Amino acid sequence: MITRSAAHSRVHRTFSRHLKVMVGVKRVIDYAVKIRVKPDKSGVETANVKMSMNPFDEIAVEEAVRLKEKKVATEIIAMTVGPTAAQEQLRTALAMGADRAVHVVTDAETLPIHVAKLMKAVCEKESPDLVILGKQAIDDDSNQTGQMLAALMDWPQGAFASAVSIKDGGLEVTREVDGGLETLAMKLPAVITADLRLNEPRYATLPNIMKAKKKKIDKFTTDELGVELKQHLKVLSVEDPPKREGGAKVESVDELIDKLRNVAKVID
Amino acid sequence: MMHAIKPARKLGVFRRALAHRLLSSSPLAGAEEAVSVDIFNPSPEHAALREMVRSFVNAEVEPQALQYNREERFNHALFRRAGELGLLGVTVDPEYGGAGMDATAACIVHEELSASDPAFCLSYLAHSQLFVNNLARNGSADQRARWLPAACRGEAIGGMGMSEPGAGTDVLAMRTTAKKQPDGGFLLNGAKMWITNGCVDDTQLGDLYLVYARTAGADVKPSKAVSLFLVEKGMRGFSLGQRIKDKCGMRASPTAELVFEDVHLPAENLVGAEGGATVCMMRNLEIERVVLAAMAVGIARRSLEVMNSYASERKAFGQPLSSFGQIQRHVAESYAEYMAGKTYLYQTSNALDLESAGNRLDTDGVKLFCTTMGKNVADRAVQVLGGYGYIGDYVVERLWRDSKLLEIGGGTLESHHKNMVRELAGVQRMP
Repeated sequence: MITRSAAHSRVHRTFSRHLKVMVGVKRVIDYAVKIRVKPDKSGVETANVKMSMNPFDEIAVEEAVRLKEKKVATEIIAMTVGPTAAQEQLRTALAMGADRAVHVVTDAETLPIHVAKLMKAVCEKESPDLVILGKQAIDDDSNQTGQMLAALMDWPQGAFASAVSIKDGGLEVTREVDGGLETLAMKLPAVITADLRLNEPRYATLPNIMKAKKKKIDKFTTDELGVELKQHLKVLSVEDPPKREGGAKVESVDELIDKLRNVAKVID
Repeated sequence: MMHAIKPARKLGVFRRALAHRLLSSSPLAGAEEAVSVDIFNPSPEHAALREMVRSFVNAEVEPQALQYNREERFNHALFRRAGELGLLGVTVDPEYGGAGMDATAACIVHEELSASDPAFCLSYLAHSQLFVNNLARNGSADQRARWLPAACRGEAIGGMGMSEPGAGTDVLAMRTTAKKQPDGGFLLNGAKMWITNGCVDDTQLGDLYLVYARTAGADVKPSKAVSLFLVEKGMRGFSLGQRIKDKCGMRASPTAELVFEDVHLPAENLVGAEGGATVCMMRNLEIERVVLAAMAVGIARRSLEVMNSYASERKAFGQPLSSFGQIQRHVAESYAEYMAGKTYLYQTSNALDLESAGNRLDTDGVKLFCTTMGKNVADRAVQVLGGYGYIGDYVVERLWRDSKLLEIGGGTLESHHKNMVRELAGVQRMP
C-alpha cells in the first residue's frame, strides 16, 4: 500500500498532470495478403487488396493504451501520413483506445524522411512527451522513421523496445540486441520504436468501435505543415524474387564440399 | 398484407454497389471507394466489426472448435470472452450494455463465427438473438435494465423456449400453460424441447429463458392466447429435462428439454402484453431466420475456401484437381451459389428494421435459399477432398454435419415454403 501511493505521487510529481503520448500508424497491405507485382513493374498491386494497420504500429498503440490504463499517460494521439483511406487505420487506433487523431492527407509516395519531418511538424504543434512508433513498416521495411524523428527533434531514442517502464521521471527501455538485452535510461520527451515482443495487441471491442466513430480526427496537408516531399529516390523496377529452384542430393561430405566450392562458390 | 420487399433506401445502396462494379472497369479504382458501397459491410463500423470478429475467430475460436465438438462440450470460457469483446449485445441499446447496431451487424458476427465453429455460433445465436435481442425488442424498460446488462457481459447465459415435444412448426399448438394467479403472477406448467443453451453441461441449466406459454383457454383463438415469460434458473419447479446427446452436428452447442412444474412467475416476468406474444414471436423469428442464413453463408465460405485451395494444390494424373471439369463444376457452382446467397442475405438484412414485424417473405426466403446452399457447398467440399474431406482435421466434415441443422432449426424448409406462398399470394409483380 505504501509503495503504491509512493509510486503514484512520484508519477504525479514528475509529469505534473499531463503526459501526452503520440503514436504513429501506417496503412500497409495486410500481412496475410500474397503480394503481387504490377505487370508494368512500377510497384506492387494495391488495388482491391486488403489493407491494415502495420502490425508493429498496433504494438505501439497497445503500449500507449497500457500506459494510459496504468494512469501514466493521460492522452493518446494517433497520427498517420497517407491517403484519405488511411482514416480506417486511425479509426482502428481510436477503437483500441487512442483519444483523438491527426491525419496528414497525401496521395504522394512518402519516404521515411518525409514522414519524420511531418511528425516533427505535428510534434511542434502537439508537444507530446513521448512518441511511440513501430520499429518498421512491413511494406518497405525501412526501419528509419523513429530514428530520424529523434534526430530531428534532438530527443533520446529507444529503438526495438521489448519492455518500457517509467522510472524516476524518465523511461527505462529494454532493447533486444545481438548479445542479449540492453537497458537504456532516458529523459522525456523521447521516441520509442516497438519490437515484436513489447506486448500483444488487443482487439478493439465492439462498443469501442462504435465510440471511435465519434472521436476527432484533425486533418492537415503537407503544405499546411510546411514540409516539401522532395523525392530522393526513383524506383526503376520492382520484380518478384527469383523462384526457388529445387536442390540436389549429394552422396558424401566430400561431394558436398566440392559442390559448395566449385558449383555454389560459397567457400574457398 | 404488404409484401416484404420494401425499402427504396436500401435498394439504393445495392444499386450503387452494382453501378460501381459495372462502371469501375479500371482495376486502379480506389479501394476506399469500393469499401463504402460494399453491401456486405455497409459502413466503416461494419467493416471494423467483421475485421475484429475474424481476428478473434482465427486466434481463439478456430483452435478449440474440433476438440469441443468431439467432446460434445460447450465452451463457456469462450462465450464469456465474446462478452468481453461486446459481441453478445450487438443489437442492444448501449444504455443496457449493447452496441446499438443493426441486423447486418448481427449477420456479420454470425457469418464470421460460423465460418469456423457453427456449433459455438448456434449457442451464440440462442443467447444473443433469441434471448437478448428478443428481450431488447419486446421487454419493458425495467425488464431490459434488470436482465440485459449481465446477459450482454456474458455473466448470464440465456435461451428461448418455443418448441415442445409435441409441437414444432405448428407452434401455436403448444400445450405449456401459464395460469393467472390471484396475486397477478402466473403458474407455469409444461415442457419445452430442443432448447439450445437449455443446459451448460450435463447437469446444469443456463441462467435465463424466454418461454412462450398459453395464457388462455381453447375458446380464445391461438394467436391471442400465447404470452411470453422470463424464467430464471433457481425458480422452484423449473428443472432440466432430457439432455439431448449424440446430435449429428452442432455438438458443441448444448441442447436440452426444460421442464416446468407449478413454477410461480411473478407479474414482472411477463414480457409484453398478456396474450400478445405472437407479434414478439414473429419479430424475433425474422431476425432468427436471417442470422441462421448468415451461419449458412459462413459455412459456405469456409467450405469454398477449403475446396478451392485443395483443388489447386492436390494433383491427380499429373494435373491439379482444378484442371478437371468435374471438379471445376463443384468449385464454380459453389462460388456462384455462395455469392447469390450472400448478396440476398445482406440485401435482406440491410432492409430489416429490428423493431418491425411483417418482413416475412425475404426473411423466410434467405433462410430457405442459404441453408440448402450452405449444405450443398459443404457437401461438394467433402467430395472434392475425397477421403480427407471425410475426417475431422480438414474441417469440412464438421461443417457438413452442422449445415443440416440449419434446414430444420429456426423454421424447417417446409415452414418457409408455407409462409412464403402465403405472402406471395398477395403479390402480382415480382421485384
